[in-house]
Amino acid sequence: MGLIKEPIDVDFVVDSRPLTKKEKLAISEFIIADKAKRKRGELQNKAKRKGKSKKQVA
Amino acid sequence: MKTLKDSGLDFKIDKLTNSIENVQTGDSFSTEVSLLSKEDLRIISPKNSWKFNWLSEFKYPTRDVYKLTIVNNPGVIQGAVSLESRIDHVYMHLLESAPFNVGRNKVYVGVPGNLVAFACKLSFQRGGEGYVSFLSKSNLIDRYVNSLGAIHCGGQLMVINTEAALKLTNKYFQ
Repeated sequence: MGLIKEPIDVDFVVDSRPLTKKEKLAISEFIIADKAKRKRGELQNKAKRKGKSKKQVA
Repeated sequence: MKTLKDSGLDFKIDKLTNSIENVQTGDSFSTEVSLLSKEDLRIISPKNSWKFNWLSEFKYPTRDVYKLTIVNNPGVIQGAVSLESRIDHVYMHLLESAPFNVGRNKVYVGVPGNLVAFACKLSFQRGGEGYVSFLSKSNLIDRYVNSLGAIHCGGQLMVINTEAALKLTNKYFQ
């Protein structure tokens, strides 16, 4: 696996602040939606594999 | 007063390695991540040119502060990260490279990538399915997308999802 490179200028400035309620909600909603999307993809892949194996049997 | 636009994480991912690499020699050194101790706070203080107040970070009961060190050289802290486990993910409050790993004259590359990959690993271990979120500086959003595979969720919000987290953890912790 190759390395992922970026320019060498590593300035490091971190400015932490508390998340707003809106931001917290946005993160949670994104995670829920992303998980659902992943599950849909997994189910579709499963269905595709099933379809292929049925064809092979026939 | 700082505006919201100016806040957020501003670490640059220089290189993702399963170790850190000496810029001058190109030699790689295996690293380990461990919990920061009270004694370590004497090292990572503004007095020693660290930018942030890790003492106050250390005091938050919901946050864990970790340090990155080279194996067999635990006395030299290469970087630190403050993480909070939430119900569905790990939130990265702060991440900082040691002063000698910052800028064009840095000693080692790969410190931020190591620490972010560790956050992903922790998220897997704590039931967060690898999800990690953080606030990004606006000008670095594209870099996080390209180097970490992070997803921009609007504003300064960035999320590393399961797929990207798997890639990062596989790269670092195989």
